[in-house]
Amino acid sequence: MSDETLVAGLAAGDRDAASAFVQRFQRRVYGLARTIVADDRAAEDIAQEAFVRAWKHAGAYDARRGSVVGWLLTITRNLAIDAVRVRVPLAFDPSSLLGLDQPSGERSPGDHAVLADDTARLRAALARLPEEQRRAVVLAGLLGYTAREIGEMEDIPLGTAKTRIRTALLRLRTALVDEEHTE
Amino acid sequence: MSSAPMTCAEVRELAPELALGILSGAERAEVVLHVNGCARCQAYVAELTEAADVIPQLVPELEPPAGFEARVMHRLGEGERRSRRRWLAAVAAVAAAAMIVSVTVVRVVESNDDSQSALAPPTTTVHQRPVQVAMEGDGAPAGWAYVSNAHGVAVSVDYGIPAGSYGVRVEPASGSPETIGTVQVDSQRGSWTGRSEQALGPGSRIALVDASGTEVCHGTVPQAE
Repeated sequence: MSDETLVAGLAAGDRDAASAFVQRFQRRVYGLARTIVADDRAAEDIAQEAFVRAWKHAGAYDARRGSVVGWLLTITRNLAIDAVRVRVPLAFDPSSLLGLDQPSGERSPGDHAVLADDTARLRAALARLPEEQRRAVVLAGLLGYTAREIGEMEDIPLGTAKTRIRTALLRLRTALVDEEHTE
Repeated sequence: MSSAPMTCAEVRELAPELALGILSGAERAEVVLHVNGCARCQAYVAELTEAADVIPQLVPELEPPAGFEARVMHRLGEGERRSRRRWLAAVAAVAAAAMIVSVTVVRVVESNDDSQSALAPPTTTVHQRPVQVAMEGDGAPAGWAYVSNAHGVAVSVDYGIPAGSYGVRVEPASGSPETIGTVQVDSQRGSWTGRSEQALGPGSRIALVDASGTEVCHGTVPQAE
């Protein structure tokens, strides 16, 4: 059953669809929540709430605006970011949260099967970015740091933080578009 | 808003931050205001959002604690009962506000006789069921609005809106923006029912605005089914 069909089932209040939906996405939702809040109990609360929100608002899901998993993980991310009230300086490269430090040659064979996916394209494009741009776009896109917070954390002017974020996202977008066109 | 509307160039500078969901407050409202009325900037933001939305998808999966699915399903069961009550209340309020439920029209619609339905006057079957409008604030679901017969309006928010008093602003697809009421939000919840003199057909917007005129959440009336 497609992701979109499951969401339609959710919107109709179908408990079997809801159960299948949770089974299909719980590892992704919990993994994202746990990564952002770095706490098991808080991650479970957020993951539960994300599914409740998805169930309540399934009728508003619009396939033209993005994939089901993108929609669900955006809900999860926003809930998790809201839960992290205090920003602490990261002592590590946030890109490590995405497994980007893994050289492409060491990937498991299963990863090659999904190379055509947007996720694989974006992973490759992120790996090609200069480190400071990668940090900025991951801090913003994953952990919800604003440009001002990134500037303070990296000890750079606000304008520089904004430029890094913008340049990085534009490059990621170009990578997605270009690779779609060359297929 | 006191400042001049943003230009396309200014909006494009900020579009990446909007797409990444890190633009807050007044800046976000100004960018969204421009984007809603500019097809090219809208397409640009949509492209960037597509890339931004993939970033959280790169996080490795992780097995949740045992019993997670059962706990979620339990919560969905509770939510179902609450939300049905809310939905029914909203629908009843809209029907009352619109003051038009025609028994004869319902009979025609329910008839299985195709020839009889085909003969029914075409103007009497418009929007018998309220049209559901998802309200979003800051990229997250904020609640729902319901529009009945293009004029009856019910708004119910239940997430993410700070306590306070907000104007219910409608922007008809063809017509001029107008504030038609005030909703009081307390503990993130608030609801309002009333009527829009201007017709709210598909493409019309409904928004809650704070005292400074900044939108805190909004939704667009979809095409009727």
